[in-house]
Amino acid sequence: MVPILKQGDTLIASIVAALSDDDLMKFRDDLAQRIGTVRARGVVIDVTALDVLDSFATRTLRGIAYTARLRGAETVIVGIQPEVAFTLVQLGLTLEGVSTALDLEEGLALLARKKQERR
Amino acid sequence: MRSMGMTPAEIERRKIYVGLTPEDVRAIAGARKAIEDTVDRHVDAFFGYLAKIPEAHGLIENREQLPRAKKLKRDHIFGLVSGTYDEKYVEQRLELAELYNKIGLEPAVFLGAYNHLMTSLESVAREQITSLRKIGAFDIGVTVDALVHQRERVIRIQSEAIRELSTPVLQVRDRMLLIPIIGVVDSHRAQLIMENLLASIRSQRARAAVMDVTGVATVDSKVANYLLQTVAAARLMGAHVIISGLSAEVAQSLVALGIDLEQIHAVGDLQGGLEEAERMLAR
Repeated sequence: MVPILKQGDTLIASIVAALSDDDLMKFRDDLAQRIGTVRARGVVIDVTALDVLDSFATRTLRGIAYTARLRGAETVIVGIQPEVAFTLVQLGLTLEGVSTALDLEEGLALLARKKQERR
Repeated sequence: MRSMGMTPAEIERRKIYVGLTPEDVRAIAGARKAIEDTVDRHVDAFFGYLAKIPEAHGLIENREQLPRAKKLKRDHIFGLVSGTYDEKYVEQRLELAELYNKIGLEPAVFLGAYNHLMTSLESVAREQITSLRKIGAFDIGVTVDALVHQRERVIRIQSEAIRELSTPVLQVRDRMLLIPIIGVVDSHRAQLIMENLLASIRSQRARAAVMDVTGVATVDSKVANYLLQTVAAARLMGAHVIISGLSAEVAQSLVALGIDLEQIHAVGDLQGGLEEAERMLAR
């Protein structure tokens, strides 16, 4: 459902359409697997195409980020639209503990910075 | 006049408020001649009082308005004893109220002057004064309402003007925004600021934003919450918000309100905020 691309040691997943809860869980499992198989150090999840993020999706995304961290990869969620950000905050869903960036480019730059800090 | 809802029905209602009865109107008719004969004395009682009040000098020294006010007051006294208190009479009250407003007459001063007028009327119409006072209460009701109404209108216009003052989001340099907030922030304006900021983060590809609240005198829990929400929403979009210029009073009230300050990255003044943002972008 969600294509996961590999670029260097980074995985890039673009969610291009609203996902059902099942799709979302499948995506979570796929990603957790792939991080191990390609020895990824970073994950970028692009949600630019989504104009709605419900509480389940938001919690799942946070879960993915936490899982990825335990598997040794840093996650950045990119492309949250202004209206989506506004709604999430009003619902009290602030994705605490998860890195965010404006778009894919910024997300990759953020991962690169973090990688440098680790060195 | 229409904006105040002075319909014939409203006028009748106001007559009931003050307890004006046909007997009163008859009683006033009995005093009509005595009062009309001494009308100038009563006008002088009203303006003589105002002349002694410093707050009313605006009227007394106004060569243009004073003769007009005196004429209107004279008409008023004739109207007062005429026995008909209809739309035309109320309209005349409103005209006079508008004049008071123009010269900035305080309601309290007006009430004082009106009382002197009543005392003056009493001297020639002792028996009818109870009835006259009812009309007086009617007049005062209309006039004070008009004065208050006008003030509220001014306040409304001014608060609209303040709201319309745009809440600009400025680009200081590449990837950095500045949001100067000045004046009163209510929840409507707060939401406007948040929407503006989020839209600008997207369009300018900002990574850091400095929200300067030096010009905000007070912060209540609503506004504080909005600050937190703005910071959190901007973060979701990958931008870091620095709040600068929280005054001692505002800082104290935030602490007293028990706001979760964990997420607020505050810097003392605007200069510090911009420097901090620079450092963030350099990283």
